[in-house]
Amino acid sequence: MSDILSNIGFLQEGPFAVARWEAVFASIDTLWQGLLITLLVASLGLALALALGIILGVMSASHWRLSRAFARGYVEFFQNTPLLIQIFMLYNAIPLIWPGLFIPVIVIGILGVGMYHGAYIAEVIRAGIQSIGRGQLEASVSQGMTYIQAMRYIIIPQAMKIVLPPMTNQAVNLIKNTSVIAIIAGGDLMYAGDSFAGRYGHYGPTYVLVGLGYFLLCFPLAMLARRLEEQSRVA
Amino acid sequence: MKRSVLLSLLALVIVVGTFGLVGCGSSDTPAEKTETPSASDLPAGVQEVKDSGKLRVGVKADVPNFGLQDAATGEFKGMEIDLARAVAKRMGLAEDKVEFQAVTAKTRGPLLDNGQIDLVVATFTIKPERLEQWNFSNPYYQDEVGLLVKKSSGVTGLAGLDGKNIGVAQGATTRDAVQAEADAAGIKVKFLEFATYPEINAALESGRVDAFSVDKSILSGYLTEESVILPDGFSPQDYGIASKKGTDDMTTFINDMLTEMESNGEMDALLKKWNLN
Repeated sequence: MSDILSNIGFLQEGPFAVARWEAVFASIDTLWQGLLITLLVASLGLALALALGIILGVMSASHWRLSRAFARGYVEFFQNTPLLIQIFMLYNAIPLIWPGLFIPVIVIGILGVGMYHGAYIAEVIRAGIQSIGRGQLEASVSQGMTYIQAMRYIIIPQAMKIVLPPMTNQAVNLIKNTSVIAIIAGGDLMYAGDSFAGRYGHYGPTYVLVGLGYFLLCFPLAMLARRLEEQSRVA
Repeated sequence: MKRSVLLSLLALVIVVGTFGLVGCGSSDTPAEKTETPSASDLPAGVQEVKDSGKLRVGVKADVPNFGLQDAATGEFKGMEIDLARAVAKRMGLAEDKVEFQAVTAKTRGPLLDNGQIDLVVATFTIKPERLEQWNFSNPYYQDEVGLLVKKSSGVTGLAGLDGKNIGVAQGATTRDAVQAEADAAGIKVKFLEFATYPEINAALESGRVDAFSVDKSILSGYLTEESVILPDGFSPQDYGIASKKGTDDMTTFINDMLTEMESNGEMDALLKKWNLN
């Protein structure tokens, strides 16, 4: 067995040598710390994105022109500028405009991915609401419900079933996009990997493990999306 | 359901495995070839690069006097650029056969390993742990780590940075050097790492970091009316020309050239040309 192993060149030398894997596993704590920060930013960011997405989605499907215009403007702004620039602005431009106002990087991460994916989720929800027949809304209103009540009890529960699979995809994208805070020294998994690989040079194993970390966070969600899709097809 | 999970995991293993094998293939070949003797006057490892028709060199694009890319013409200029050209000349390659590629502290190692460039002449400090991973020539320049701060901060030395944030480049030796100095002075500093120097500079201007720390020669390129380089300088760093691990022919070839340049005064002339002495 050891004979076979010692004949496999890439385990002996080069970026993926066994010694490098050992060196990385010896300091695996750095990566765990990064994973925790990523998890924190992703979960709070997702909560913010869902809240924003539902509010803005309902607004853009409503019959009040002003609320539609506001939601439209928000969605277009965030969908058509790179997240990277939004993050960079929050990090460097805000303290230049208001000296002394330093938003912590973790908060920037949460705000950044939350607002960015909030725009996408709003679009998903708007499409879901508009896919429910107009008769449903008319029937609820004729029963004496207000517009908000009709949304809350009749429309959104039906729309939810349709929007869940695309929304889960947004959650997966959100998790992966938290990696942009690495450029503002965010301390997340990507940053921890960059920092470690840069300092010690063992970039082969480091980036494989960082990739694996994101995979472990995203894969269960992607599976969930698939299952939800299958269920909604059955129903 | 279970089966699809297994299939996905299998796919992952295959992808990772393939990457590993590719790494293996490219790292083995040159080492084997350098052993074959050659009839030409160049050592085999150097002849091999010459036969490829060009010398591909990783250089800095944002360090004045060492390696700076002209934004308008795209041309590279600096002491390290001239040094790379000298290597090519000694190999018998025409000047226009040198291909420059901009690298950062983070990208230069991987680019050497995967064979996209033959040499790195990019303010690359010789360190024991780096010698285990790449070949380095003898030093051609010595520099020390410095600190750039805003004049308005009132900081006059490392001691004034107690409890402050210091911006450093990812993949540089600066962090360990400053940490050692801070430990010796009994102060605590926090490091924020960025991928490029302009990003650190932006963080200094917005106040996200209180000091920008890197080799002094690099700092001088970011000095403005509002900032100052502190007199502190620590852990002198030797810059060397790096090539892939095992390319000993090339390293010896470059060392011979450096020794010759030292003795015939060419090195002094080169340093003078770029205001580096």
